[in-house]
Amino acid sequence: MSSAEGRGRTLDEAVDAALIELGESRRNVDVRVISEGPEETVVEVSVIDHTAAPAVAAGAPGNGKADVARSLVEGLLKLMGVRAQVTVRTGTDPITLDISGRDLGALIGWRGETLRALQSVTNVMVGKHLDEGERVIVDVERYRQRREHTVREIALRAARQVKMTGDAITLDAMQAFERRAIHLALQDDPDVGSSSIGEEPDRRVVVGPRKPANG
Amino acid sequence: MPGRAAAERIRKAIAVVNEVADGAGDEEITPTEIAEAIRDCLELKEIEQGSNARKYLGEALDAVSDGMPADFVAMTLYAALGALGESRPEL
Repeated sequence: MSSAEGRGRTLDEAVDAALIELGESRRNVDVRVISEGPEETVVEVSVIDHTAAPAVAAGAPGNGKADVARSLVEGLLKLMGVRAQVTVRTGTDPITLDISGRDLGALIGWRGETLRALQSVTNVMVGKHLDEGERVIVDVERYRQRREHTVREIALRAARQVKMTGDAITLDAMQAFERRAIHLALQDDPDVGSSSIGEEPDRRVVVGPRKPANG
Repeated sequence: MPGRAAAERIRKAIAVVNEVADGAGDEEITPTEIAEAIRDCLELKEIEQGSNARKYLGEALDAVSDGMPADFVAMTLYAALGALGESRPEL
């Protein structure tokens, strides 16, 4: 997997710098924030290896549960009349299935609703092969991964603003997996924290200054 | 639009269940809260007696009380949402 380091004043600038060096679009990369400060942000941008996953799909030995999940989803898609390739994303925990193909927008649905339904069905089908608490994540054309990247960028941008102004920021309503991505992105920040307010499906994350410990 | 309120209420119930399944880590949802969200759907007149939507909602409620996994409850609620769409082709 090829990767490049990018530096910039903001997260966007740093990612753009690395993308230019790699000659890639955002759609095809993973972004990892190495450091972030008021003056400079450093990221590592890695091109997603599209050739690694088909090796698993072709039946390479490995995670038996993942293979069971993959073949069940393949069968389900076939019954739905959807022509798509299902691969197991390598090096991920929990098990993640990537569905790729042409015109799969309908499989994602409005705000990812159909994709989320597909994931529920998949977990019900695969459930008996999984350990207690173990789950399968289903992604279509990396929609979910891109959403996680997007909300993470939103969180980091909000955190920068909170540090500058000292005021809390309430973000737009998000789904549970998006809120989780934000909490994880900010969990190690010593100055800024996140919490959620409101009721589903309008539950929102508030990014604000971390309260000093009592005493 | 008459059926929109019912769809929104089912979506709310689905969001509550998905919160349990996805584990956002920011709220503890109890089975009682999930059951309440489903009962809220069943109270709507738009979800007619004998309709498939009502049947699936009843199954989802049973699944919660039987302690079935969140994904199973969510799947049944998605079926209710789908049944609502089928009965109202204008949506």
